Amino acid sequence: MNKFKNMEEKELSPQESLDLIQSMIGRARQRFTDNSFYFLLWGWVVMLASVTHYVVVEYTNFDRPYIGWALTVPAFVVSMIYGARQGKKEGVRNYTDGIYAWMWFMLGISMFTMVFYGEKLGWQIVPLTMLMGGVGTVVSGAMLKFRALQIGGAAFWLLSILAFEVGEGMQMLLMAVAVLIGYLIPGYLMKSKAKQDAVQNA
Amino acid sequence: MQFKTLDPLLHSQLRLAIMSLLISVESAEFVYIKEQTAATAGNLSVQLDKLSTAGYIKVTKAFEGKKPKTTCKITAKGVNAFETYVKDLQQYLKP
Repeated sequence: MNKFKNMEEKELSPQESLDLIQSMIGRARQRFTDNSFYFLLWGWVVMLASVTHYVVVEYTNFDRPYIGWALTVPAFVVSMIYGARQGKKEGVRNYTDGIYAWMWFMLGISMFTMVFYGEKLGWQIVPLTMLMGGVGTVVSGAMLKFRALQIGGAAFWLLSILAFEVGEGMQMLLMAVAVLIGYLIPGYLMKSKAKQDAVQNA
Repeated sequence: MQFKTLDPLLHSQLRLAIMSLLISVESAEFVYIKEQTAATAGNLSVQLDKLSTAGYIKVTKAFEGKKPKTTCKITAKGVNAFETYVKDLQQYLKP
């Protein structure tokens, strides 16, 4: 870092120029984006909603087993506010940041739209949501270069195939497993990696 | 073979550092560039002004509450100049 301090005075040799370019580009690239907040938030919201749904369907007579899914609305709002705040705080915007935000925003809107037209979709909302969640998770993993997310996204897809074959209660359990593998495990891994990086860079 | 003269605007340590940083991101704030280059605020301001006057970067000043916020973004002209600079640099490095 100190070598940058007296920048103006020094005449650069071509090799020094090249080294400087490389080190600065590398610095911008090394930044590891910690997006674990979203994966943990949505992981727990969906986990809670799907397990509640399962328990209500299998063990009670309550006619609104989907009640827990109402949590997704505040979670959506929280995600948007957190995203906007984070963007301001970071001080730098990567090319992928915008793509990432728009992808999840659109996937989120599409999922809510599917719930709205659930009847026309034969109420196969769970496997369809899992398919969409899988797309978002795999692509996020590729963008953030985070393997656990890509594996998680693949799990979403595989479990959605199973979900098409089973009944409502079982679908909810599969959904819970999917967010455990797809969101929660990668989310916690990402969080601990970000913590490690912060210690190393300090 | 005659060597091309290197763009004097880019052939300076801090300005080159700024441009290399900005070419890899969509936009960056003054504070972030200052952190990454470890330059003084005064010197950084002067160099950003030079790059902005040349049309290599676009500087947007805004207020967030009471805090001023300066955001920098590389322009198409800046990308071209940077690429030309790197190309010109290569002829000096060839054996």
